[in-house]
Amino acid sequence: MNGLVESRNLTKQFGEGHEAVVAVNDVNMSINQGELLVIMGESGSGKTTLISILGCILQPTSGSLIIDGSEVDYESQDLSEIRRKKVGFVFQLFNLIPYLTALENVMVAMDIGGIKGPEAEEKARELLTQVGLPDRLNHRPSQLSGGEQQRVSFARALANDPLIVFADEPTANLDSRNSASIMELIQSLCRERNIAFAVVTHDAHLRENADRIIEMEDGRVLDA
Amino acid sequence: MRSVFIKDMAYRKARIVLTVISIAVLVLLILLMGGTMNGMRKKARAYVQSVEQQAGTGTVWLSSEGSGSSFAGFSLINSEYLEVLRRLEGVDREIPLSPLIFALARPVIKGQEKKAIVVAYRQDKLGGPSERDLESTGDPSSPFYPVTGNVFRSSKYEDYRPTDIPPPEVVADEWLGLEIGETLELSGKELRVVGKTRNRVFVLDEPMIFMDIRTAQSTILDNIIYVNTVLVKVAEGYSAVQLANDIKQNSPVAVDAHTGDQIVKIILANYVDEPMKIVQFLRVLLWFAAVLIIVMITYVTTMEKSREIGVLKAIGASNKYVVYLILKQVVTMTSTGVVLGVILAFLATWFSPIIIIVSVSEAILVAIITIVICSYGGYVAANRAAAVDPMIAFRGR
Repeated sequence: MNGLVESRNLTKQFGEGHEAVVAVNDVNMSINQGELLVIMGESGSGKTTLISILGCILQPTSGSLIIDGSEVDYESQDLSEIRRKKVGFVFQLFNLIPYLTALENVMVAMDIGGIKGPEAEEKARELLTQVGLPDRLNHRPSQLSGGEQQRVSFARALANDPLIVFADEPTANLDSRNSASIMELIQSLCRERNIAFAVVTHDAHLRENADRIIEMEDGRVLDA
Repeated sequence: MRSVFIKDMAYRKARIVLTVISIAVLVLLILLMGGTMNGMRKKARAYVQSVEQQAGTGTVWLSSEGSGSSFAGFSLINSEYLEVLRRLEGVDREIPLSPLIFALARPVIKGQEKKAIVVAYRQDKLGGPSERDLESTGDPSSPFYPVTGNVFRSSKYEDYRPTDIPPPEVVADEWLGLEIGETLELSGKELRVVGKTRNRVFVLDEPMIFMDIRTAQSTILDNIIYVNTVLVKVAEGYSAVQLANDIKQNSPVAVDAHTGDQIVKIILANYVDEPMKIVQFLRVLLWFAAVLIIVMITYVTTMEKSREIGVLKAIGASNKYVVYLILKQVVTMTSTGVVLGVILAFLATWFSPIIIIVSVSEAILVAIITIVICSYGGYVAANRAAAVDPMIAFRGR
């Protein structure tokens, strides 16, 4: 394996003793640059926990993680810096900040990443135009449809030019028409920007167009 | 993006406004408590300072031995026994000794009993307003200026006989609400107001009533021998401290002798600092209340938006970024509340019926302390908020 993101014997256990739950069990996998990876599995199979570890939100109980050629040092490294510079996230519940406009929601991520002022605004406009919202820049989340809110989420995930975007069931709260358009957006962003996407989804359309599909069951990857 | 914290505050404006108002009210109370104490201190000093100004060269205040002065304990003293002191070195030759009565009284005014301070003295001596203080002809720089109307007539103090009725006249402060020509009743005797002073009040706003020594002796002391204080004017070039020590050693009767500065300290200790300890304690409690408000509001607000914080952390925000974001809100809320409280405190001093003195330096000090301690409280709450698990962005709870 020699990918953009590599995991070696990743295990995540919650609790101890009789109450211990192994959410991710000895996972070895890699994700390559520009790859569209679909992660599938039953509810509770460990998909979200796995992308949380791969995206440096969660710390594994054991095993190692290599991102962009460097092994993550959980003892001394600031994980927020990796999330800021190398990773983007899209959530099932959109998670936009309610009092900010679409443009500002994208600019917040840039502010965190150190891009400020007119440069940030210009880039945010470009990203929102790219995700198909050039005329919704100054609308707040409550004034946007679910599909539009998820597009803003994608623009926010791309704000700091990540190497990989992790998306956790991005269409779970959308109707079929919006789901299809979001899936098309993921494919086009993946191809146009050469960014890797790891998407947890049950969507058949994306499954058909994915570069690779992995299946999870009881914390294990069945087919990597 | 600098405006995130402002937009967040605007989104939660009702809570922010209430918090700002709470901080403002607390700062207002803290400053007004301090201002009231400052006003009391000013009033505590005012009378003694006027007498010191009258003397010009310093004074020594004599009272019964062990009384700690007539401002601290019970003092009765026969001024005639002390006449020998006029020959002591360091005692002014022109006005060596001035008998004085300074006592709390309860005159009846228009059928109502009121609290007042009776100040009885000889007009040719030290202790109260003289002709020089009359508004019509007097000198505005004289110590008891202004007195409208007249000063009371003097008794025949030196050669007093039972047939000599003391003049039933007083100069009352305008806080008593009496007009010139009206009367007040003291120990069953009617005394006519012939003049009025302005803002001559003691520590707790007790208005002063100035009268002749004999008038006070016949009304509140019911004797013709004793006073409670004898003032000794210090001769030019002599030290009041030294003279007080000399008097203690050479007096024919044992006395307590204090300088004007010492009397001010005694009054401050007995009438302001000691009784106001509880007020100082309350001020500290108010500061605690301010911190608690900030900590609770910050904590509750940040717990409410823990998902937003979790999302910010998930997309790369460091703990420092989150703490800084929250801290900016805390400092903005606290500073706004503090500025509002300070402005209200200064406005209150203009409209208050009692004397409240809020100094700029004290307002600045209170503002800085409040901002610092509230910011620290907010910092503690913000650090708790920054500990939010970014996994909340996935789970939604």
